[in-house]
Amino acid sequence: MTRGIGLYVHIPFCASRCPYCDFATAPARTVLRAAYLAALREEIAREGRMLDRPRIRTLYVGGGTPSLLDPSEIESVARSLREAFDLRPREATVEVNPATLDRERLGAWLELGVTRISLGAQSFDARGLRALGRTHQSQDSTTAFMAARDAGLDVNLDLIFGWPGQTVADWQRDLESAIALRPDHVSCYPLELRLDPEASVANWPGGGWPVLERWRQRTAAAQPDDAGVARLYRLAEGVLGRSGYRHYEIANWARPRKRSLHNLGYWRDRDWLGVGAGAHTHLGGVRSANPIELRTYIAYARSGSARSADLESDPRAEAAMLALRLDTGLDLRRYGIRFGDEAASRVRLALTDVSRARLVRWSGDRASLTARGRLLASEVFVRLLP
Amino acid sequence: MADLARIRNFCVIAHVDHGKTTLSDRLLETTGTVPLREMREQLLDSMELEREHGITIKARAVRMAWRDQELNLIDTPGHVDFTYEVSRSLAACEGAVLLVDASQGIEAQTLANAYLAVEQGLEVIPVINKIDLPNIDLDVVREELRTTLGFRDDEILLASGKTGAGVQELLDAIVERIPAPTGDPDAPLRALIFDSHYDAYKGVVAHIRVVDGALAAGDRIRLMATERESDLLELGVFVPDARPIERLATGETGYVATGLKAVADCRVGDTLTLAARPAAKPLPGYRPAKPMVFAGFYPSNAEDYPALKDALEKLRLNDASLVYDPETSQALGFGFRAGFLGLLHLEIVQERLEREYDVGLIATSPSVEYRVITQKGAEVAIDNPALLPDPGTIVEIREPWMKVTIIVPTTHVGPVMEVAQNKRAALLDMSYVDPTRAMLKYEMLVAGSLVDALSIITHRDRAQLSGRVLVSKLRGLIPKQMFDVRIQAAIGGKVIASETVKAKRKDVLAKCYGGDITRKRKLLEKQKEGKKRMKMVGSVEIPQEAFLAVLRIGDET
Repeated sequence: MTRGIGLYVHIPFCASRCPYCDFATAPARTVLRAAYLAALREEIAREGRMLDRPRIRTLYVGGGTPSLLDPSEIESVARSLREAFDLRPREATVEVNPATLDRERLGAWLELGVTRISLGAQSFDARGLRALGRTHQSQDSTTAFMAARDAGLDVNLDLIFGWPGQTVADWQRDLESAIALRPDHVSCYPLELRLDPEASVANWPGGGWPVLERWRQRTAAAQPDDAGVARLYRLAEGVLGRSGYRHYEIANWARPRKRSLHNLGYWRDRDWLGVGAGAHTHLGGVRSANPIELRTYIAYARSGSARSADLESDPRAEAAMLALRLDTGLDLRRYGIRFGDEAASRVRLALTDVSRARLVRWSGDRASLTARGRLLASEVFVRLLP
Repeated sequence: MADLARIRNFCVIAHVDHGKTTLSDRLLETTGTVPLREMREQLLDSMELEREHGITIKARAVRMAWRDQELNLIDTPGHVDFTYEVSRSLAACEGAVLLVDASQGIEAQTLANAYLAVEQGLEVIPVINKIDLPNIDLDVVREELRTTLGFRDDEILLASGKTGAGVQELLDAIVERIPAPTGDPDAPLRALIFDSHYDAYKGVVAHIRVVDGALAAGDRIRLMATERESDLLELGVFVPDARPIERLATGETGYVATGLKAVADCRVGDTLTLAARPAAKPLPGYRPAKPMVFAGFYPSNAEDYPALKDALEKLRLNDASLVYDPETSQALGFGFRAGFLGLLHLEIVQERLEREYDVGLIATSPSVEYRVITQKGAEVAIDNPALLPDPGTIVEIREPWMKVTIIVPTTHVGPVMEVAQNKRAALLDMSYVDPTRAMLKYEMLVAGSLVDALSIITHRDRAQLSGRVLVSKLRGLIPKQMFDVRIQAAIGGKVIASETVKAKRKDVLAKCYGGDITRKRKLLEKQKEGKKRMKMVGSVEIPQEAFLAVLRIGDET
């Protein structure tokens, strides 16, 4: 592991639940907060021992809302990380909710060695924020952005498009507001509402899944249709492209040399360790994941490894799909060296099938998604499954 | 050994629920074949025995004794799809007991079977059953029997299967009115096979009526139509449980374990003779199973093809009227074109394949056999629309018609006539059975539709409408694809309806975030499962519902 691994740390706590979100989340005031952080530190220490104190090449602290951890909590997690790992990351990102970043907390993150924040702005449009059930104001994003810049950090802005009532003009304004801040990196996600119950509901007291489901059904019914969402996506490609952002992954744009190194690790099928509830890991070709439910995670993490392996993982198909998410595409010659000629010709056959529908373009041995292919990526990926 | 004059072979024909089973039981009881007290226990016992020995031979003819006579009660299959089988059962008898429910009167099936019996020259004994019921009007039922079947009042018996009233009189009437069998005991053996089924332990069991000659245990038998020979394994009669015997003489009925492996080798209606001394001529009336309705059976998963083949082979062991040939469809891949006696038969086979053999099926729309007259004057039989010759070379297409008699309460005559008209039926005659019931006689088309999975044969008058309905249906059912899909209905080369399924604009862009590749893959796997249930036609994915829609189209146009 000379090149080092990626490390993902999950902080599930949120001031309020965003009704569209399907990550492992929990209320900031949960009685389990201290127990969770203790379990997380235990997991960090154990994984560090097991992996023989590996070098951490990239660090990503995500959530939830990591930015609402208290400075003392940040410090204790940071201490555990330094003890367990050789922590000299080329890139360290923390996810920030616009309303929760203050000077004191920012200081604690800087102390840990953070180089980059990912700001969950989602929209600069008051109607958009309301439609998404967000509690922050557009102004909060700008403030948090400025604070990060003052601290010398790179910034990613997360934007969501396709909310009920959003017009092409609305989206254009959102994109322009984002660009005006001159972020290094922009992620644009279409609003996708999962309509089956999810495990993190168990972490939240109150209405539970039925309440969430009602919101999602209602919102999904009011979203722009597929053609409308496709139009918004194309608009983002145009606007961001013209402003000097490279569309390097299906949902991600970056200025030169500002691609997310940590996320590139996922797409390039590198090794990474994930700690915390719902975190995913890919080490030595094996994918595994931690439980999403806090109580289960805590119990597992304290009694041994919390991870359960994904036994149905198909490294061949997954590596091909992940590579195709990137604008650099899939190099079939290298793929053949890694997985054998038979696997490579299977993939070639599947991709030839969709290149007729102009979803994939070829440049020598390298296949990459066309603009249309990015919109219909699932059509491509589904053919790569065994 | 009974001499001919002491034998009576008869059956009971009745509409469903008119009390056939109860009356038959009562006959067994009254003749002492099954003592009254023991009836229940004994039948249970014999079922117990069957379970223990794995014997599943079903009684198709039960032998009884009455006033020194040997009475053989022969069972008849119930449904109209099996008219031929009913006719063979009737051919094994000299007489029939026609049962009419005192409270229901004559029903369609009563008539159909009664006509068959009369056609075969059987002596028919009309019996009004369930006379123990309150509020019945025997005069109305008598009137029906007089007007529709021409019986005289003094011929009509009254009985109650429930109380046993009139059963002795009925038995006496059977002896007195039904003629004894005729036949030549010295001639070479000729026995009519009136039923057969497959038994897991004994192979094919044939139920026979000896017409000429005699059959003994250990004889080598020959089946005249299928030209199969075999050493018979067991000879016996039902009394009512199976009892092996040494000899079956002229006029008697019984069963033969033939030692054959498939019922197709032992067809109902075939003549059984001795290999050593074969008869010169078979008995009349044999008809090879003639499928009337055809449909394609395709596995919904291509991998299930061998399972489907296997299941069809097993079904054919016990169903001589099921015929099938391998067939390939551009849309559906490898499958079979199967022929059935009728729609019910098709449904039964389809259900058994799905239920008992767990094979997922796509059945194409049932069609009938068409006769195509070409310009060269040739007549070509077509049971698959995909094989229809170039329309330019066709002079005419003939489709099967049938004569249909419908007995209907007068209050429903209007709607029935409307349905008939929609089926392009021509009314031949209308009369009244009694003041409340009308009898309509029609010449009616047998056909509904279809060719290869998405094509249909339809009458010119309906082509426009069918085409439009079908196209608009398919548009709703075919999911968006990677490109525009144009759906057109055409007659010959002329497009009569056209719609487009616009290309899919986006699918789930799904962020792949926090390294959760597992979930993304699972979503894709689900999508792939969905795709598996679709059939690729060229480069278009067509869901099973689209094929089903075509099947149903006939009902709606």
